[in-house]
Amino acid sequence: MDLMEKLTILADSAKYDVACTSSGVDRGGAAGSIGSAVAPGCCHTFSADGRCVSLLKVLLTNVCAYDCAYCVNRRSNDLPRAAFTPRELAELTIQFYRRNYIEGLFLSSAVLISPDHTTELMIKALELLRNEYHFRGYIHAKAIPGADPALIHRLGLLADRLSVNIELPSAASLGRLAPDKKKAAILAPMSQIARARDENRQELTVYRSAPKFAPAGQSTQMIVGATPETDRQILKLTEGLYQKYQLKRVFYSAYIPVAQDSRLPALNTPPPLLREHRLYQADWLLRFYDFSADEILDDASPNFDPFLDPKCNWAIQHLDQFPVDVNRADKTMLLRVPGIGPKSAGRIVRARRQGALGLEELRRMGVVLKRAQYFICCRGFSGAAGFGRRSIAAALVDSGVFAAGAQQLSLFAPEFAPMLTAGRPGLEAAKEEAVSWIEKRM
Amino acid sequence: MDREADVVYRYDGSFEGFLCCVFESVYAHEIPFAILPHSSPMATLFPEKLIETDPAKARRVDASLPKKLGKGARSCVAHAFLSGSEEKELLILRFLRLGYRVGPGVMFMAGHKDVAPVLALEKAVCGEAHLLTGFVRFQDYGDFLGGTITPKHYVLPLLRLHFCQRLPSEDFILYDATHGAALLWQKGKASYAQLDEAPPFPEISREEAAYQELWKRFYKTIAIAARENPALRRSLCPKRYWVNMTELKEEL
Repeated sequence: MDLMEKLTILADSAKYDVACTSSGVDRGGAAGSIGSAVAPGCCHTFSADGRCVSLLKVLLTNVCAYDCAYCVNRRSNDLPRAAFTPRELAELTIQFYRRNYIEGLFLSSAVLISPDHTTELMIKALELLRNEYHFRGYIHAKAIPGADPALIHRLGLLADRLSVNIELPSAASLGRLAPDKKKAAILAPMSQIARARDENRQELTVYRSAPKFAPAGQSTQMIVGATPETDRQILKLTEGLYQKYQLKRVFYSAYIPVAQDSRLPALNTPPPLLREHRLYQADWLLRFYDFSADEILDDASPNFDPFLDPKCNWAIQHLDQFPVDVNRADKTMLLRVPGIGPKSAGRIVRARRQGALGLEELRRMGVVLKRAQYFICCRGFSGAAGFGRRSIAAALVDSGVFAAGAQQLSLFAPEFAPMLTAGRPGLEAAKEEAVSWIEKRM
Repeated sequence: MDREADVVYRYDGSFEGFLCCVFESVYAHEIPFAILPHSSPMATLFPEKLIETDPAKARRVDASLPKKLGKGARSCVAHAFLSGSEEKELLILRFLRLGYRVGPGVMFMAGHKDVAPVLALEKAVCGEAHLLTGFVRFQDYGDFLGGTITPKHYVLPLLRLHFCQRLPSEDFILYDATHGAALLWQKGKASYAQLDEAPPFPEISREEAAYQELWKRFYKTIAIAARENPALRRSLCPKRYWVNMTELKEEL
């Protein structure tokens, strides 16, 4: 089998892995080596689905001993199989890297023979890259649940980021769809990595040149839409993972049917992209906006609102806390205003020391006044009195929902789908309807 | 208070020359109607003042930036000056004149009408440089790597450190076709060259062609058909970069 064929098979098998980030570590170049890494990460291209391509994302092999129902590489699936040799993979990575196609390597693998055997092969490839080619670029490696902790530790010393896929949002779903994987077996390497990183941080404060263990931290991903969990359950799980294992990122992947199986959504079900989008928005609220999962969703409304992003949704349910005085409020409260993000909040806090801010200044700083004006007061503007709830609702409704089309909305609010398929007048009617829906909830 | 003078400054287009325009503006107590490089074909009805580039004056203005405007101002201004915008000189001048008046706090007045445009220039320049650290494509010509870019702003100085650090053992030429300039990295030494036309890159080898094919195949394979989203791709990777990108030029 030639390299082209192998690359095609093994990239195709890896494409459902979400993370392609190259962030979290700064490492300059060095004479006699190749490569460097920059903390913000670097996107090298964007594929036809709009996802960033930063790393050469491949499996070492797609020959798998497991039979997980949701996975394209499951044992019982009839598809071409291939495996890179460690040398082939290292050479390909370097050649792509020299031409500035990629920022590094994302190495995952199906379970060939056993988790230990697979991990050893991955280590061999990474050792070639790091020690023989002196590669200083970014490496993201998947830790295979069930592998010997000693092997995972060696993997962590070679890679910048490790990740363990939590796969599905609950143990029950895991038991149903992935009988070979146990929740405990997934969480064990996660906590091992978290502990090892803690110890490593202490070592590094004592010995600056101590070898670094997964300096860019660990991440995980889960599939949404294949199993019946609510958004609230998923978000609570996410929050727990961030707190307990200090994860850098939790990724969500809208389930794309890859198998005819009575336990799974039918093959023609569209991937729940809008839901995935809302989950990422909520994830951002957890990480950068100082929200807790309980504030974003509660038992009364366990799922996201289709027409409002989670932050706007919180704001209209807490109108009593507004308007916020931009010239006085603390940063946490500024971050709760729709239309103000971490960047503009930081700018506001610094700029208001130089003089009181009015609407013009806020606009120039990047505040989205279309939304923010209903929730703030500032110099020369004492709050948006006289606006009806309807105009607020109209400013907040997420117009991206309608751009995404009837298919996505039908997964959330089926009663809207017929309007959207009715063309432009239908679209206007659907927007009107959505505004009324929000107005009623305010 | 400075008067808005009906005069146009002409200078040599260099950063030093621009600093001399700042000097002139301060000592003549005036804000000119426009500041244009000699190369600009724009004709104006206003009288023109020819600003000589005097290294001593430029040094004085340069030294005043960290002293009067605080740290951060120098790099902000230097980055903004790399912009391809025709109004950059006047925008930066207004920002500096404000800065001399209010002091180091000026860097934090992101909402001020004379500060926001300069921050926007800086953002555009650094943003393009950041995108290009990813979007540059090199071809292996045997003895060296070669790549071409067509940026809006003069970003080569911002790309130098990134690529020279990253590829210490390679030799490369990065050619900026918009500005007729090239960054050369040979045997661990970096230099710039002015080129009137594209460097004569040789034919690519079979091995190079094979790697390009592998990359294009990888690029096509990694996309998920059920999630296709051309608008998202265009907004994250604008089409004007595609012409120099191995995997995308065929899709133009």
